[in-house]
Amino acid sequence: MDHRLRDLAERLDAGLIARREFLRKAAIITGGTAAGLGALRTMAGAQPKTKLRVWLFKSFVTNANDVLARHVEAWAKERKVDVETDWATFGDREPKFVASIEAGSPPDMAEMHILGPTRYKAALRDVSKLAGEIARAKGGMLPFAETATRLDGKYMAVPRYAMITVFFIRKDIMEAKGLKPPKVYDPDVVEFARKTQDPSKDLYGFGQTLNRSDDGDGFMENILWDYGGGSWDKEGKPALATSFREPNLKALQFAVDTIQKHKIQPPGVMGWTDVSNNEAYMAGKLVTTNNGASLYYAMVAKKHELAPKTLLVLTPGGPAGSFVSASCYNWAIFSKSKHPELCEDLIRWMEDEKRFTEYLQVSVGQAGPVYKGRVDNPYWKSDPNFEAIVQNILKSVPYGHPGPMTPAAVEVRAQHILTDMAGRVVSAGLSPEAALKEAHARIEEIYKIRRM
Amino acid sequence: MATRAAHVQANAELNGRVTGPRGGLRRLLGPDYRLGYLFVVPAAVLVLALVAYPFGYAIYLSMTRKYVGVPPVWVGLENYVKLTFDGFFQRAVANSFIFTFGSVAVKTVLGMAMALVLTSNIRFRSFFTGVLLIPWVAPTVVTALNFLWIFDYSLGVLNYLLVRVLHILPRGVGWLSEPGTAMASVIAVNIWRGFPFFGISFLAGMKGIPAELYEAAAVDGAGAVLRFRYVTLPGLRNIVIIVLLLSTIWTFNDFQIVYILTKGGPGGATQVLPVFTYEMAFGAQRLGEAVAVALYMLPALAFVIIVLARYMRRSRTA
Repeated sequence: MDHRLRDLAERLDAGLIARREFLRKAAIITGGTAAGLGALRTMAGAQPKTKLRVWLFKSFVTNANDVLARHVEAWAKERKVDVETDWATFGDREPKFVASIEAGSPPDMAEMHILGPTRYKAALRDVSKLAGEIARAKGGMLPFAETATRLDGKYMAVPRYAMITVFFIRKDIMEAKGLKPPKVYDPDVVEFARKTQDPSKDLYGFGQTLNRSDDGDGFMENILWDYGGGSWDKEGKPALATSFREPNLKALQFAVDTIQKHKIQPPGVMGWTDVSNNEAYMAGKLVTTNNGASLYYAMVAKKHELAPKTLLVLTPGGPAGSFVSASCYNWAIFSKSKHPELCEDLIRWMEDEKRFTEYLQVSVGQAGPVYKGRVDNPYWKSDPNFEAIVQNILKSVPYGHPGPMTPAAVEVRAQHILTDMAGRVVSAGLSPEAALKEAHARIEEIYKIRRM
Repeated sequence: MATRAAHVQANAELNGRVTGPRGGLRRLLGPDYRLGYLFVVPAAVLVLALVAYPFGYAIYLSMTRKYVGVPPVWVGLENYVKLTFDGFFQRAVANSFIFTFGSVAVKTVLGMAMALVLTSNIRFRSFFTGVLLIPWVAPTVVTALNFLWIFDYSLGVLNYLLVRVLHILPRGVGWLSEPGTAMASVIAVNIWRGFPFFGISFLAGMKGIPAELYEAAAVDGAGAVLRFRYVTLPGLRNIVIIVLLLSTIWTFNDFQIVYILTKGGPGGATQVLPVFTYEMAFGAQRLGEAVAVALYMLPALAFVIIVLARYMRRSRTA
């Protein structure tokens, strides 16, 4: 009992105060206490909640975006944290990250593209402990994911999933012609395309731009590797027109030939952007193309007539094998964050297998495995087309292959050096030798600058 | 006269009594100079904060090696020297001039034609004025995305019209895939977007030319061409100067149309300086060099503008 009430009661018993006065004073004391407690409760409620700024990646797979946002909201509710979510897309993620870092106000954490950890390393927090903990719980990290997130021995990000390109084939046309999926570009893809295309009906056998775009840059990088070449040697030094000159010349010549000599590509292909081959394929104007799972998602989600007529197979290769580079999406925490432990908690929450599987099931093949334990998820057996996605991911190599993934390798990709090289031959009429030499000079320059 | 002399003398005596630096300021700036400072300070602070500081910082950044998230390292004029000998940058400069002057020249002609048509006695003049302003009103991103579809080889409406409807061409043209047509295409879109500004500005200028001048010229026997040459053009000179200057600056800095349509491709054939700057900043993430690219052409652009302005002014006084 409140000591003031006890005093009042004692004074009443002693006959020092009248009953009416006792009641009046007791009412004031209890009412005042209740009001005070109420005010305190209101003040406690008015204390600002911890606020976390989280940037998520908005992919073309809209259902997966919805699940992603829902999981973050659920975490915020559970932990009573005020989360401010923002989205970065394919087109605006780099300007957003650059601007926020340079302005000194990056988010607390972000879902990043494969280039993120290498590019923004200086602004990121070492998350080795968390990355190791999550990887161990999931049977270990796949090698390409480790290369993408582990820099100078420290994990600067936690891998989440992998996007990869696969080879899309019009199964109905292939079967009508009695053909099998091509294994290598030359001669398989060329012959396949010639036998299946009909330019008079605006149907072309192969659609692969060599223009400045993720699709074009990715293809050019892959084709150099397929022929045993590449932009970098094992030590990470420029090799485009030096040690890998011969295989690179053959690869470049082949890429150009698909347009100029073999004529298996649509005439406007050098003007294509990343969405052009998706549109052309869905419009029934291509028999084959290289693309990520988002194209398959678009067809499945819209119940497009070509979805059941589409076969996804491993990316064709060349004399040295078939090479592809997976884009490892990941979680990174910015070193300026005042709540790194909360960010780590959110990452653990998002990577929980139950939640990730929910995300995976609406991604239609886009969220490829980055951990060994996720390769065997039954989801990947739910559609025969997913087999190519998983197998391509398992054999994928990082940017800079066969050397390390360096800032210079990342910049060569970002500056479209390889597609410019192809464009200089196809559009400007340069010889492959001259274009290779010109591109090599640009790579040398980048290498020199990035070493300073 | 006597009053004025007395006033001058009184002022002289007054000024003579006020000595020292404050007196000097008062003589120089007037008796209310303190209040004047008060009025000027907000504008000065705004100019310093929003123009001078960012511009000065940009000049400083252009002389550094600056990567994202790490402090800049001073390199002096190295970035500018390197750019001068960079073949890709040189091509971007040439492309920028082709893009700008090709576009501005056609916009001037089309804009003049639009203004002349809209000043003549045609039916539904207000309606046509409104319709012709649509390209200028529409957001550039929307315009560029629409043209991306229009120019598409397989799915675009332009090839469809030329090949299947009008039968002008035996097969479609890769508008954005060949260097020549790609540059022509991005210029065409810029023209489409920008000519209404020329037209409406010229139209406003034409409305201000007194009708008596045309009547006098007609009485003197001048036909339509001569009236245009000796009445309309001189009357529009100031408007033309301003419109040309503004459009040259805007077109030179146009980023959206080229970036959305070609990203500077194929093979760098439509690479212009704003796209080059963007790629250097957000692709290569070499911020110092990116700012150097942006600032490199500033003196040249200023020179062109000054020469143009002086030429037009001289023509007016001649």
